[in-house]
Amino acid sequence: MAVAIAAARVWRPNRGLSQAALLLLWRPGARGLARSHPHRQQQQFSSLDDKPQFPGASAEFIDKLEFIQPNVISGIPIYRVMDRQGQIINPSEDPHLPKEKVLKLYKSMTLLNTMDRILYESQRQGRISFYMTNYGEEGTHVGSAAALDNTDLVFGQYREAGVLMYRDYPLELFMAQCYGNISDLGKGRQMPVHYGCKERHFVTISSPLATQIPQAVGAAYAAKRANANRVVICYFGEGAASEGDAHAGFNFAATLECPIIFFCRNNGYAISTPTSEQYRGDGIAARGPGYGIMSIRVDGNDVFAVYNATREARRRAVAENQPFLIEAMTYRIGHHSTSDDSSAYRSVDEVNYWDKQDHPISRLRHYLLSQGWWDEEQEKAWRKQSRKKVRAPRPGGRRQGPAWEAGCLPTAPCPHR
Amino acid sequence: MAVVAAAAGWLLRLRAAGAEGHWRRFRGVGLARGFLHPSATVEDAAQRRQVAHFTFQPDPEPREYGQTQKMNLFQSVTSALDNSLAKDPTAVIFGEDVAFGGVFRCTVGLRDKYGKDRVFNTPLCEQGIVGFGIGIAVTGATAIAEIQFADYIFPAFDQIVNEAAKYRYRSGDLFNCGSLTIRSPWGCVGHGALYHSQSPEAFFAHCPGIKVVIPRSPFQAKGLLLSCIEDKNPCIFFEPKILYRAAAEQVPIEPYNIPLSQAEVIQEGSDVTLVAWGTQVHVIREVASMAKEKLGVSCEVIDLRTIIPWDVDTVCKSVIKTGRLLISHEAPLTGGFASEISSTVQEECFLNLEAPISRVCGYDTPFPHIFEPFYIPDKWKCYDALRKMINY
Repeated sequence: MAVAIAAARVWRPNRGLSQAALLLLWRPGARGLARSHPHRQQQQFSSLDDKPQFPGASAEFIDKLEFIQPNVISGIPIYRVMDRQGQIINPSEDPHLPKEKVLKLYKSMTLLNTMDRILYESQRQGRISFYMTNYGEEGTHVGSAAALDNTDLVFGQYREAGVLMYRDYPLELFMAQCYGNISDLGKGRQMPVHYGCKERHFVTISSPLATQIPQAVGAAYAAKRANANRVVICYFGEGAASEGDAHAGFNFAATLECPIIFFCRNNGYAISTPTSEQYRGDGIAARGPGYGIMSIRVDGNDVFAVYNATREARRRAVAENQPFLIEAMTYRIGHHSTSDDSSAYRSVDEVNYWDKQDHPISRLRHYLLSQGWWDEEQEKAWRKQSRKKVRAPRPGGRRQGPAWEAGCLPTAPCPHR
Repeated sequence: MAVVAAAAGWLLRLRAAGAEGHWRRFRGVGLARGFLHPSATVEDAAQRRQVAHFTFQPDPEPREYGQTQKMNLFQSVTSALDNSLAKDPTAVIFGEDVAFGGVFRCTVGLRDKYGKDRVFNTPLCEQGIVGFGIGIAVTGATAIAEIQFADYIFPAFDQIVNEAAKYRYRSGDLFNCGSLTIRSPWGCVGHGALYHSQSPEAFFAHCPGIKVVIPRSPFQAKGLLLSCIEDKNPCIFFEPKILYRAAAEQVPIEPYNIPLSQAEVIQEGSDVTLVAWGTQVHVIREVASMAKEKLGVSCEVIDLRTIIPWDVDTVCKSVIKTGRLLISHEAPLTGGFASEISSTVQEECFLNLEAPISRVCGYDTPFPHIFEPFYIPDKWKCYDALRKMINY
């Protein structure tokens, strides 16, 4: 012991450590001493005595050299409530949503689908410059939106228009933003689909990917401090999850204990890059535990699964001030955007499979039909009605120009002269 | 004085050696060590390695803001932060190592006073720090982020330039992050080398949507920092680290504001305008007195204070009066902020100029360690450039 203390004096700068303090630091049972001193080995130790003391990890020792094998063959299982025919698999997981709510889910998805078709065509006709559709991912939008409070703050990437649709954002404003006309609240400054709505707590979209992730964490921290009982939800794709900002956001959310839901839409592609070229691990859900984040993988084409997971994540995020990660598996049926032709990198058969066999809208429709809440007549009528709603003439028509009045000019904070 | 004569002789010899343009590249290079320290022996020079290239000149005690206290730069920053957190319950301070007081002691005592939810460490990730700060500001709360050295601000460049600066514009004023302030130690410190000495203000000057502010003294720092925090735009506040301890003066205890985008004429003059910011203001102040003493030249010394949006009117008004402009900064010459000032002034004051605008800056190289005294635009380089302008 004297040797140890003397040694400690030589190697440690003398910052006023007393003898007693040194004894505490070099207490019996510290690894080196326990093993080397013959007297110590004869004493009785409880299993706690030879524990590692490193501040960096809470773990036991192991004396076998073994690398942890990442498990990608059989990854984190995918939670679902309905099968592909819209039948509830496990009745105890049925959220038993009331008819009006389920109809709202259905109508939001189909209205979005209709608007997508019309605006995609508008781009092809040269009426708008650019568009991104949401085909196949409508379930991830409305399922999650329905599970939130209306005042929960939403940070999106660019393929979450269904969240705004569910929050009753007027069709006119969707299109005003795409046309950049005088009705656009964004004042015509951004490319189409960069929506934002203060009233509906949907932060304006920006093009750089994943930048919203650490921002969402900061907003959640502020909500926690304000005791607002609000959650922040942050949407991003599996491609954006490769960005450094995603890593930053996850780590900050966990260390700073923020009430945030990270919602990853894993749709199989980042433009032309398939997931096999995006990551080698078990998707995005498997990263959560690495940050200390509660994580789940869900069937993104199952509106009820998305709803259940988001609802529970919201409840716990707010109650426990911790982040949750939901990886919603889905498929991007459409092209990345109007600037993309995905037949260059994937087969039409693959796309058709998802469109015909596993689509969030058809699965919910099967459920509605089986509940007797919907029928073919109503389907036909609603299709007609939704097309009419999207195409409805508006004051000034689509030929409205951008806002040129003085009050709408760029509000530059750099008035040099 | 003999050494000055020897130095002048050396300079003249170099001048004779080649054309003016050739001479410009030799500024500072090849000067004998004895030149820098007039009474030096080799031994003395080694002991004097730590001698600063400037002398901090405190401003007179301010009378209009109430009781004052002697504070150095880091203490004046602490005072500003203390005032902010006291006044604004939403304000939070975060960054690497701010909880224990900060590596430069700027946040000492604040966590104990205001709580661990308001003054806290973040993981080591600058893009996260700024992104997180933006998010806080989006909700309307006041976010004061610290980047440990300005040299490390670059991972956050995307968040600053693509996000913070454009938040209000791109959303049509639906959203903004105006209540974000980023503070960061800045500039040469004597031994900082490549990654603890940088002055990156020029990178951000090219970005409409943010404000960049650099104080020269504790009194300026507190007033300017408080203005940044209260400003409705995201601001970057660079703190000259060499002044943290070296600069001390009387600073009011109560909060006060110094306006942004207003340069200060700290000394009036008639023959030449000298413009700088941060530490370099003290260098050009000394150059002004050297010019007065040796050449009988009257210099107008301007501290720019805000880099963007910068006070074009004050600088131009001065150049119209004097006809000569010298701008000096530690950052490399090419693309440095002096180039923006020079370009604008020649546009606005072309016919008033008696000589080309002079820029005395760091070299277009990374910031060296052992060669720092040769790298920085010291008073001799500035004086020499001034002399040439006078004799043009």
